[in-house]
This record gives sequence, C-alpha cells and structure tokens, in this order.
Amino acid sequence: MLLIEKSLVYFVIATYLFITLAPLLWVLSTSFKPNPEAISFPPQFLPSAPTLDNYVFVLTDPKLVISLFNSLAVSLASTGLSVAVSALGGYAFARFDFKGKNLLISTILGLFMIPVVINIIPLYIMLANVGLLNSLFALVLTFQILIIPLNIFLLKNYFETIPKELEEAALIDGCSKIRAFWHVIVPISMPGFLIAAILSFRFSWNEFVLPVVLSNRPDVIVFQVALYQFISLYRIDWGYLTAGINIALIPVVILMLIFQKRMIRGMTLGAVRG
Amino acid sequence: MLEQKVGRLQPYLLLAPALAILTAFLLFPLTWNVYLSLHDVSLITILSDWKYVGIKNFVNLVQDSDFHMSLLVSLMFVGGSVALQFFVGMVLAVVLNQQIRGSNTLRAIFIIPWTVSAVITGFSFKFIFNDSFGIMNYGLSQLGLEPVSWLSDPGTVVWTLVVANMWHGTPFTVIFLTAGLFSISPVLYEAARIDGASKIKGFFYITLPLLRPFVIINLILITMWSVNFFDLILVMTNGGPLFSSTTSSLFMYRQAFEFGLLSKGAAVGFLLIATNLVLAYSYIKLLRSQDK
Repeated sequence: MLLIEKSLVYFVIATYLFITLAPLLWVLSTSFKPNPEAISFPPQFLPSAPTLDNYVFVLTDPKLVISLFNSLAVSLASTGLSVAVSALGGYAFARFDFKGKNLLISTILGLFMIPVVINIIPLYIMLANVGLLNSLFALVLTFQILIIPLNIFLLKNYFETIPKELEEAALIDGCSKIRAFWHVIVPISMPGFLIAAILSFRFSWNEFVLPVVLSNRPDVIVFQVALYQFISLYRIDWGYLTAGINIALIPVVILMLIFQKRMIRGMTLGAVRG
Repeated sequence: MLEQKVGRLQPYLLLAPALAILTAFLLFPLTWNVYLSLHDVSLITILSDWKYVGIKNFVNLVQDSDFHMSLLVSLMFVGGSVALQFFVGMVLAVVLNQQIRGSNTLRAIFIIPWTVSAVITGFSFKFIFNDSFGIMNYGLSQLGLEPVSWLSDPGTVVWTLVVANMWHGTPFTVIFLTAGLFSISPVLYEAARIDGASKIKGFFYITLPLLRPFVIINLILITMWSVNFFDLILVMTNGGPLFSSTTSSLFMYRQAFEFGLLSKGAAVGFLLIATNLVLAYSYIKLLRSQDK
C-alpha cells in the first residue's frame, strides 16, 4: 500500500475505534463515581475516588435483583425452547422434500424480516383476553417469534453441511429417520446449536418492547424494563444507572467476544442464504 | 402403507411446534390487527365487546396533525439512519478488508455496539448528550462553541437520535458487507492491478458491481429495521419534546399505551405492516432472483 493510502486507512480505523469505544468507556468510568460526581460539570474523565457503591446498590436493590433473576430465567428458557423447536424445523427443511416446502421457507423468512414491535398491540389485547399478561411463561413464548425464524435457517444451513451418508448408514441399520436424527445428527451438531443458543440468548436478554408492554408488574419485570422504570420513577441517578448498564452489558458482550468469529459466519449464513 | 403415510407426514410433524408458535404469536396477531383497527378498542373497553366503527380510526389518523408530523419524523429518522449506517458501514468494511494487521480483532471490537441493547444504547447516549452536564457540550465548550440542546431542541433532536442509532446499527452493515467482500475473489483485483487500474477504479468497477446483491439486501434490511425501531427513541426522548421526535412506529406505541387508544394504534400498525410487507416481499424476490 502507498503511504498515503495506509495513513488514510489507519485514520478511518482509529476514528471509528474511538467512536465505538468512547461511549462505553465513559459509561464505565461514570459507574465508579458517586452520584453527584457523575453529573458534575465540567465532567471528570476518571473517578476521583473510585467506588463500588453503585454496583452494590444495583445488586442489593430488591426490585432490581428480582428483575435480574427474571431476565436470566426468561432468557435461558426461551433459548432452550427455541433451539429445540428450531432444530426440529431446520431438520425438516434440510432433509425432507415435501409439499409446500418453498412456500413455508419464504413465509418464515418473510416473517423474520418483519420486526415484532409491529405486533405489540394485537399481542397485548390477545394476552389480556386470555389472562396471560404479566406472566414470565407468556414472555418466553412471545420471545420465540423473535428467534425461531433465524434459528431455523441457521440450523437448516448447518444440517446441510453434514454429509447425508452419515444418516444413511444409520438408516440402513434399521433406524427410523427421527432416531437417526437423534443419535447421529444431534451429537455432531453441537457447534451449530451453540451459535443458535448464543444468538437466542442475546435476543432474549436485550429485548425491551415486548416485556415493557406485556409484563411490567414489579414481580415479573426483566432487567431492561427495570432500568427503564428506574429512570422514570426517580430523578435519574446516573451513578446507579451506569452501573446497571454495565451489569446488563457484561454477559452479552463476553459471549459475543468469545464466539465472534462463529457468530459472524452464523449471522451471515442466516441472513444471506435463506 | 401406514408407515409410508407416517413417513410423508414426518416433515410436517417436525415443523409443527415451530409453526404453532409462529401462528399463534406472529401470524394471528398480524392479521387480527386489521380487525382491531376497524373496531373501537381502548384500555377501558379491552375486556368487553368492541363496537364496529368502520374506517373511523383511519379517518382520525388522516386528520391528526401529530400523525402527519410523525411521518415527517420517520422520513428524517429512516433516511438519516440508513444513509449514515450504510455509508459508514461500507467505508469500514472496505477498509477492514485491506490487508491490515489485527483486522479480526478490530472487527470483534466494531461489533460490540450491535450486541448492546437498544435500551442501553439509549441511556448511554442520553447521558452523553445531556444538555447541562453531557460530555458533548463539554467538548463544544472546550472548542469555544455554544452548547447545543441535543435532546430538547425540536430541530436537533431527530439528528441526535440518528447518531445514536448509527452507533448501534452500523456494525450490522459492516458484518454483512464484509461477508460480501469475502465472496469476491482476490484474483480479480490482482488482474486489475496488472492491467494498471488504480484501487479506486477497482472499487467502482469490480467491488461495487459484485457487491450489488449484498448492498441491496443490506439496504432493505436496515430500512425496515429503522422504520420499526423505537426502543431507542422511547428511552432517549419518549418522542418529545411534544411529538417532535415521535416516528410513526413510536406514534403507534404512544397512542396505544400512553393514551390508551389501542385501535387507533392498530390503524397505524396496519399502515406500518403494509410498508413492511412491501419491503419484505422485495427482499425475498431479490433473494430468489439471486439464486438463479
């Protein structure tokens, strides 16, 4: 590369690196400041006397602690359910030819494209009428619509990379197709399930619109909603809030960083190939 | 005979759980929305019988100046978000695709904002863009400039939101276009270089044409997401001041859950669904034509 090209490339990268990291670092730094210092002007870049008080507050406030557990429970349950359900569906698409297959694939793909928030009003009225508002169970079910379509395509593509011969051997031995799936495909598909699980977890953990509407009673709120109610209830205490932000961030960012390479491949497979 | 029948049913049985959930919680609400938009449903009447009101909800919308405003706000928010995310995402994807050291680590870092939830992004930028103690205004004051009312000036607020949305959304475009760039064989650039073509020429004559399907799909997806995206705005401004940052999707939410007018919200929802269906349809059309 020419020198001028090279410096341009590095200039662009450095600039966007700053844009990406500065907000996160600023929030991180603020979370170690006492509340008054958090909103002092001119701002202090580093806490003058770093403290863990904000984290202690968030992790001992009963309402916030309950919401953290709710988030964890809902995210894990909806991850498990969606991977199981999508594995079956993905397998059907990967290994069977049947009537209406293309139509179904297009429909599911189309549904995946349409953001779920559009459905929020009918969903609310529907759940209100069957008495399922403010239920974590209903939340797990509604979260599925965010994740299942993506997971089906992800796993369909994954199964298609597995040579058919493996199952055929099992079929010749007299296994049914379903048993072949369980004993042959499932064990070697763990890496695929892992990607699907991590993406599902990220979607569930971060989801806000569905829970804020469908489940906002204090005993059934999730963490993202708790933070939101937290700012509307009190004067915003930015020290506490920034600590809450970091607690919400940590699990997802760690997961994504560990698995980022596979994640990129999984995402693009899901999005591009269909 | 029976076994054969079971065999033929197998794929449907395997798909049944997924389809059941999608039908109950996605397809049914999506179509039921039409019914709701033609009735009078509010938070008060939600559990009783709903009166059929024809197209009254839609007439109300057409006459509502706040709704007109929301269309304009949507246009600015979507236009700004898509243009910025696409341009920045394209530049970053191309730059990262040059042979530079540590490009994988850089990609990993650039993805972080995409893994951050909209709510968290909203809070962070609400803090950064605070009128009185925000660090942006501190930066301006250090440069000897006047402070800006980032979130309380009706003329500025949408652009502040666009910037926050860029931070959150650009990684998707980077990832997506990177996948596209990976699919272009380096041999082509090599050949162009031997023929004496410059890098810039290579970009316009090799990269862009081959990247076209990725570009189109990427544009459709980010357009769709920006049309519907409102968590970020809800957290940062709640649509305010007044309605000056209320996009149409947030308008739908506010009508339903702030003012309790569920069926008026459903009418907005109907218009949004129609917009989405057109976008989704063109997306699938393009995917199919690309397969051939």
